[in-house]
Amino acid sequence: MNTHFQNDLVEILKERAAKGQISRRQMLQGFAALMGTTALGAGAAKAEEGRLVFVNWGGDALDAMDEAFGTPFTEETGIEVLYDGSGPTEGAITAQVQGGNPTWDLVDADPFSSQALGRKGLMTPIDYDIVDKAKQREGFGWEYSSSCYFYSYVIAYDATRFDEPPTSIADFFDTEKFPGKRSMYKWGAGMWEAALLADGVAPEDLYPLDLERAHAKIDGFKEHIGAFWGGGAESQSLLLNGDVSMALIWNTRASLLHKDTEGEITFTWQDGIIGPGGIGVLKDNPGGTEAAMRYIAATQEPERQVVLFQMLGNAPSNPAADALIPEDERRFNAMDPENLPKQIALDTDWYEENYGAALDAYLQIISA
Amino acid sequence: MRAFLFLICPVLLFLGVSYLLPFLGIVQLSFTDPDPGLAQYSRVLTEDLPTGVIWRTLRLCVMVTAVSVSCAYVITLLWVRGSPLVRSITELCIMIPFWISVLSRAFGWLSMLSNRGLLNTWLQDMGLIDSAIQMTRNEFAVVVGMSHYLIPFAVFPLATAMRNVDERVLTAADGMGASRLRIFWQVFLPMTSSGILGATLLVFVFSIGFYVTPALLGGGQSVLVAELIYLWIFQIPQWGMAAAMSVVLMLGVGGILYVLMRRYGEMAK
Repeated sequence: MNTHFQNDLVEILKERAAKGQISRRQMLQGFAALMGTTALGAGAAKAEEGRLVFVNWGGDALDAMDEAFGTPFTEETGIEVLYDGSGPTEGAITAQVQGGNPTWDLVDADPFSSQALGRKGLMTPIDYDIVDKAKQREGFGWEYSSSCYFYSYVIAYDATRFDEPPTSIADFFDTEKFPGKRSMYKWGAGMWEAALLADGVAPEDLYPLDLERAHAKIDGFKEHIGAFWGGGAESQSLLLNGDVSMALIWNTRASLLHKDTEGEITFTWQDGIIGPGGIGVLKDNPGGTEAAMRYIAATQEPERQVVLFQMLGNAPSNPAADALIPEDERRFNAMDPENLPKQIALDTDWYEENYGAALDAYLQIISA
Repeated sequence: MRAFLFLICPVLLFLGVSYLLPFLGIVQLSFTDPDPGLAQYSRVLTEDLPTGVIWRTLRLCVMVTAVSVSCAYVITLLWVRGSPLVRSITELCIMIPFWISVLSRAFGWLSMLSNRGLLNTWLQDMGLIDSAIQMTRNEFAVVVGMSHYLIPFAVFPLATAMRNVDERVLTAADGMGASRLRIFWQVFLPMTSSGILGATLLVFVFSIGFYVTPALLGGGQSVLVAELIYLWIFQIPQWGMAAAMSVVLMLGVGGILYVLMRRYGEMAK
């Protein structure tokens, strides 16, 4: 669940600040750039007119977020923004709206979650008169979710263990040529695609996913799996501790590994699986639809998206931001014109329909 | 007696509102979401994922209980019957883990047991093994981590039972010429069996609800009941399934408690 991904971004910022790789101010800017995706462990902030509550995945810099992002937005619009880090899982959003008195306005939820919830009448459609479609990538604007950044499941590997680097997802599943244990994502997303690609399915024929075939592939490969990781820090430590020699992990963590180990642990974009992140608006949100849409529009500024990329490594949703990224950092941008063609994007429509049942079946395979 | 009932009324009311009503809500949900009927229960009790998870949870909890209670027995023996120095050292070993969060302890075990962890490094430095042994991200690590957490909880019922053993009975056995081993097996152990049962009960019931330790140390390959319920509530919302699983868990634990408590009551007499 990509909900875990957003949560992980906050962790990355805090870790880097703790290591002195970035200043506290940069960390706060990073939170700000998360666009409200920043999550500042408030209690449930009570929302009302002239006020927006943005819910994300945790963190503890409430005041900081207010200074870095809330205040400028408030100056611009007169609308106050409060941040709440309690985690907008599908279950939590459902409880908010069905409870009849939601306190949340905006959520950093998976686009497919927002879509599924929207169809059940729990989300407000994105108002594309205010949110600018031209500032989104082709194919990544949805009815109930506006894309705000991208990340990718990439093949990261311990280069010290192999004579030649792996160059495809087939290599990931080839333990003869590339010895050592592997790690895959515990919550399934991106892993079905990887298994099918390795099994010879052409990228354009991936969807609808042939789950049986994917699960057969994963089941047969299970003895080579050292662990299924559930969070970003875990994926990083599996490679660092030498528990596995190759792993399918988020590119944000892979970039950090590359930088921290000076390339001893590195990654390839080849056969990466791109996951989109999006902002959604709750049905009958207390702060009002228009204010919420203006907030989303404000997150589309390319300069801010570049800050986000520099802090965390997740790619801009506004294509205009790609060119603003300094030359030497572009290799870490999942959406860079150099890197994008090597990867395949998750199909939000498929996940909206099938994710629940697919994850049940996947867990059955991996934890058997 | 009437005054007594009157005085505990607020507590009963509080428990009723904060426990019983929500629980009845859960029970209702388990029969109605998404459609009215018994479908959720039949899925929980027949589908591969939930039944697999239930069996794994039971199996793991039995292992953890056995390990924890046996270790705790030895530790308690040292604590209750050791020399003053041994006693104070044991006491520290029992108390210190209490002050460390369950999360830190799980991470501690990871850095201890992982492939480039302390244990593997030592073994390799001493030339005992050639390549690292995988000790984390499996059920072994989960049992170690959970037992480590639960041992202190098993110590207290055991200590009570051991302290209640009448010293004169042991002296008598000794006077009758029984060897130390025989005194332990035939006198001391049976006399502390109520403590063993109490500890087993406590540890087993506790272990069933574990979430963090198995999630971290199990490497995603040992999903337990608590994690599955979380998944069904928050991640892929199927509240009816989560509710049915909770009710099944509640009834299961309740049944075990009932049987063991009766046995415990008899023993304590």
